[in-house]
Amino acid sequence: MSTARVVAMRVVQLVVVLWIVVTFTFFLVRILPGDPVDVIVPNQVGAQGRAAAQAVREHLGLDRPLYEQYFDYVGDVARGDLGRNYATNVAVTDTLKQALPVSLQLMIYAQILALAFAIPLGVFSAYRAGSRADRAISTTSFALLALPNFVLALVLSYFVGVELEWLPTSGYAPGWLDPLFGRSGALDLGRHLEVMVLPAVSLAAGQIAIYMRLLRSDMIATLQENFITMAKSKGLSNRRILWRHALRPSSLTLLTVAGLNMGALIGGAVVVEVIYGMPGMGLKIFQALSARQYVELQGFVLVIALLFVLINFLVDFLYAVLDPRIRRARAAA
Amino acid sequence: MPAQPPDNDGVPRVTEAVMWAADHGGAEATPSDAEALQVLAVESGDEGRKKGRGLGLGAWLAIGWITLIVVSGALAHLNVLPLDNPTTDVDAFCARRGPFANEGTAEGHLLGCDTNGRDLASRVIYGGGLSMMIAVGAVALGLAIGGTLGMVAGFFGGRVDAVLTSSFNVMLSVPAVILALALTAFLQKPPEEAGGGTALPVEVTLILAIGIVSIPLLGRITRASALSWSQREFVLAARAQGAKNLRIMVREVLPNVLPAMASIALLGIAVAIVAEGALSILGVGMKPPTPSWGTIIGLDRGALNSSPHIIFVPSILTFVTVLALNFLGDVVRARFDVREAGI
Amino acid sequence: MVVESHPHASRRRFARLAAAIATLAIISATFATTGAAAPERRASQAGGGEITFGLEAETSLGFCLPSAQLAISGIQVVAAIYDTLVVPNSKGEMVPYLAKSVEPNADFTEWTITLREGVTFHDGTPVDAEAIKLNLDSYAGKNPDQSAPLFSALIGAYFSSTEVVDPLTVKVVLSRSVHDYPSALYATGRLGMMAPAQIGAEDCSTNMIGSGPFKLVEWLQNERLVVEKNPDYWQPGYPKADQITFIPQPDAPQRITALEGGELDMLHTSSGIQIARLRGLGNQFKLLTQKPGFREIRYYFVNASKPPFDNPEAREALALALNREEINEIQNQGVFEVANSIMDRKVPGYEKNAGYPKFNLKKAKAAVAAVEAESGPITVTLLTTNDTENAREAQTIAQQIEKAGMTADIQQVDQAALIGQALGGNFGIFLWRNLHGGSQHPDFDTYSWFGLTEAGTPYLTNFGRITDTDLQALFDEGRGASDINEIERIYKGVNERIAEIVGLIPVWYVDWTIASTPDVKVTLPKLPDGGGKPLFVYGRIPVLGLTKK
Repeated sequence: MSTARVVAMRVVQLVVVLWIVVTFTFFLVRILPGDPVDVIVPNQVGAQGRAAAQAVREHLGLDRPLYEQYFDYVGDVARGDLGRNYATNVAVTDTLKQALPVSLQLMIYAQILALAFAIPLGVFSAYRAGSRADRAISTTSFALLALPNFVLALVLSYFVGVELEWLPTSGYAPGWLDPLFGRSGALDLGRHLEVMVLPAVSLAAGQIAIYMRLLRSDMIATLQENFITMAKSKGLSNRRILWRHALRPSSLTLLTVAGLNMGALIGGAVVVEVIYGMPGMGLKIFQALSARQYVELQGFVLVIALLFVLINFLVDFLYAVLDPRIRRARAAA
Repeated sequence: MPAQPPDNDGVPRVTEAVMWAADHGGAEATPSDAEALQVLAVESGDEGRKKGRGLGLGAWLAIGWITLIVVSGALAHLNVLPLDNPTTDVDAFCARRGPFANEGTAEGHLLGCDTNGRDLASRVIYGGGLSMMIAVGAVALGLAIGGTLGMVAGFFGGRVDAVLTSSFNVMLSVPAVILALALTAFLQKPPEEAGGGTALPVEVTLILAIGIVSIPLLGRITRASALSWSQREFVLAARAQGAKNLRIMVREVLPNVLPAMASIALLGIAVAIVAEGALSILGVGMKPPTPSWGTIIGLDRGALNSSPHIIFVPSILTFVTVLALNFLGDVVRARFDVREAGI
Repeated sequence: MVVESHPHASRRRFARLAAAIATLAIISATFATTGAAAPERRASQAGGGEITFGLEAETSLGFCLPSAQLAISGIQVVAAIYDTLVVPNSKGEMVPYLAKSVEPNADFTEWTITLREGVTFHDGTPVDAEAIKLNLDSYAGKNPDQSAPLFSALIGAYFSSTEVVDPLTVKVVLSRSVHDYPSALYATGRLGMMAPAQIGAEDCSTNMIGSGPFKLVEWLQNERLVVEKNPDYWQPGYPKADQITFIPQPDAPQRITALEGGELDMLHTSSGIQIARLRGLGNQFKLLTQKPGFREIRYYFVNASKPPFDNPEAREALALALNREEINEIQNQGVFEVANSIMDRKVPGYEKNAGYPKFNLKKAKAAVAAVEAESGPITVTLLTTNDTENAREAQTIAQQIEKAGMTADIQQVDQAALIGQALGGNFGIFLWRNLHGGSQHPDFDTYSWFGLTEAGTPYLTNFGRITDTDLQALFDEGRGASDINEIERIYKGVNERIAEIVGLIPVWYVDWTIASTPDVKVTLPKLPDGGGKPLFVYGRIPVLGLTKK
């Protein structure tokens, strides 16, 4: 199978998934019980209320045949019109511009933290597989896996934020990514990192365990391969063998998982953001929910799903193109 | 077997596993990731727990814990325990002392009071039963649909398998948290708006949402297991003897697939408990004053500074329960040597 | 189970160090990939300082004042950016403020508003008769470019026309005699005067242009609203502060945590339990608690327009079922005074007990059974916001309701959606907090909440949909009353009648409390032109004299 064909297949898959995601969100608003317009705009008294109801009616086009509504929706999405919050009249895309950089930065920090802890731990416990230290690390990571991130977030919030007063437990300060999205506010990176620490740790903890276990088992397999034995016989130092020769071939899976996790973390950050009052996608979703702004909610769900699909596609695609083993396997087939 | 043979659709096996793991990386799915990975792809072979006769102390502790939660929860729901009614009883002592009564062990309040003057112990016992019920309900739904589809896909293979597997993949392409949240939010009854119409009880929306989200996960595990068993000699033998497909599936394949399903179901329940908690914190969980572990945390989150015990008790219970379920899932897997035995 | 710990200085220093190292690790990792600029801390300035104020809610619908739905937090922001023509002083008299004078004719049907010379809006346009006419017309619903759903019903009902007499004089003609008209010009602080450029504009709800002491810098919804000193303010020497940042934090406990953590300099709270917590912190913060006189009342609207509470017996049963002492104890640790009246002490019409049925579970059960025998099971929808304090209260109410044999269904939405739901009448009980009578004449502050329009339908803000003819007769009589004894007699009647029909259920007097760090000073400048001391409503801090060292 040629690379071009792989690419083509992947792209077709991507298009199909995108189409299904868009269709799914289209139906979300339409499964609301009763007349969706009445649910979205409960207060249709006064000119303002009636205008809002009219705007929703126009946006959704509920009086027209379903297929027309559907094509309209797809067209709107393609044009980047995700509707509005019909109470505040703020476009969903404007809110997104505010929220996305917050979540993206949180995600990136969580990822960096998770890898920074998981790689040394994974290498070490693979090297000392079966030792007491390895078992201790294994047990800890097993416990970490069972620790829901909202529990960790609350515990950290209490002990680190409230009891010890080391770090802030709510709020946000813009960071390096915010200006790119045109998010206003004075840049104060010190404060930015301060508010990011606890949410990032809460999000990273579970990932550390996943990454660590993954790397450990990959490393153990790699360390049994011939070229490692050869390197040992050449008298190379253990440190050099571990970090130079064994880590690289073992880390491909890890990096792929990490890459794919970028998308998943966006969804995972929802609860953590709510607990820390961090104005990212998660908190916006929470707010849209409690304001019963279903069109806004629909927009957020769509964007998160699209992001997730795209990131998955990119990582998977890169993996397929870059991994020599897969290319070899394809050539053989 | 360090090599990963390409799957029928050209996706390397490990990537599939990895995508799945990544998808679980979200808030509620964490516990099962590594487990799922190991079940599906990683032939670790160096697992501490080996097939053995006895269950070991840990497993018995875990079983004991789960039994305790389930039985006490059920008894609380049947109103046979000497507890306050967790939704209507205000305790005079609690009301007077307020939620600051951290030291509420006095006067029979083992775990203190919550911010509404209620006995916290009554609420977490009742709530544990409810959380467990929702989680089990969701996994049962997921297993009924996902398991059946997975069996069919794995057993028949070919085009059926291709269609079902790609449907699972598509479902997995929306982050689980977001999918569950969207489903719950849009399925739940909005307040008496005009034509509020037919709406489902909150428990049902939670079970539906979490159950639907779990379909592709449970489906894929079952498929993988069914696929490997369907090509064994005894299946071929049964076929040669002229047995019908359905009969082979139920009589020959299903019993062998069950351990894998049991293992993943245990992990699934753990994930579902966490999911219920997360959804409650996001405001789409059980309606107050009905307690579940998630709603107790979600409602009194604001009291974290002044009365942290209200948050910590259900949090610790959630953690220990998830730990116990994960552990049992592992034990089942190790005992029955569940793994993907090649294709 | 958790022991209170007091961190030692050394431990804290170590902690800071550890936190700093962790932070640095992230910084270096981040900077390696982005090459971002070094952090730039804002230099603190001399002058009145920059103050961060924690609000109890975000005003999600924005600040297009005629169509806005402002609760206390919104009014607080309006007080910074806009001026009202009149304000109440500490005696409850309405005195001129942005206006130089507001004078009625002999029969109170024409009111002449004279303006101050040289006052400008933040965009430089003058605060002149044309601008004020445009404002008043807009609030009354007479401006086709600007909707004013609530005000047009309240004010528009007896509003005939405005005319510009000269560049600084506007005359308002009413369709009938209204003694309390100045209260309508204040509307509990909601009737800010906007620059003509804001009125009817596309971005009316976000681009606030007033004539007030502070100008809008930026507003990031649910995050912060920043205003800076208006150097051309018409009251010389004011405002004191250079900048105020309003941060909405709907969660009362978290608001206090933010104050403790230094993220806020001040906050307001009406939660008894949080006030108790603040008091427990000793001298760490300065506390200002409102004294009896013109306090708000916490009460529950009861929806009389649909089942179950369209039945007076069901309302009676509800009143019997609610143990308000217990609610106050759980919610406020008993620090608030339980209310049996819709007005506080200094308002004419106040009564210690207007005659609400007392809690009696046995009678309540019997009453519920009687109603249910007649019209089936009673299900009560409890409507409130989604912050933790309201959630707690709603649960206590639900518990009491269920004990009496009814079923409760708690619905929580955010503040903006809340008023929408209430306007739509989608509730059985609706948790509310309001000031009925912030002045010596309770007309404007009562009829709009419990009365009927000229057409005989309830005002939109009559959330309980009370359509009681006896009550309406009292309101009509009160509107023409000017003698203080007369006013007192009429509004006592109003108070008692509402109790008699259980039009609502009062719960407690709200002791609004402001907490601030010791370096924040709240001074109260006298009102201009000998208007006396301003009325200090503690939920809304006067922003003029705020300073921070």
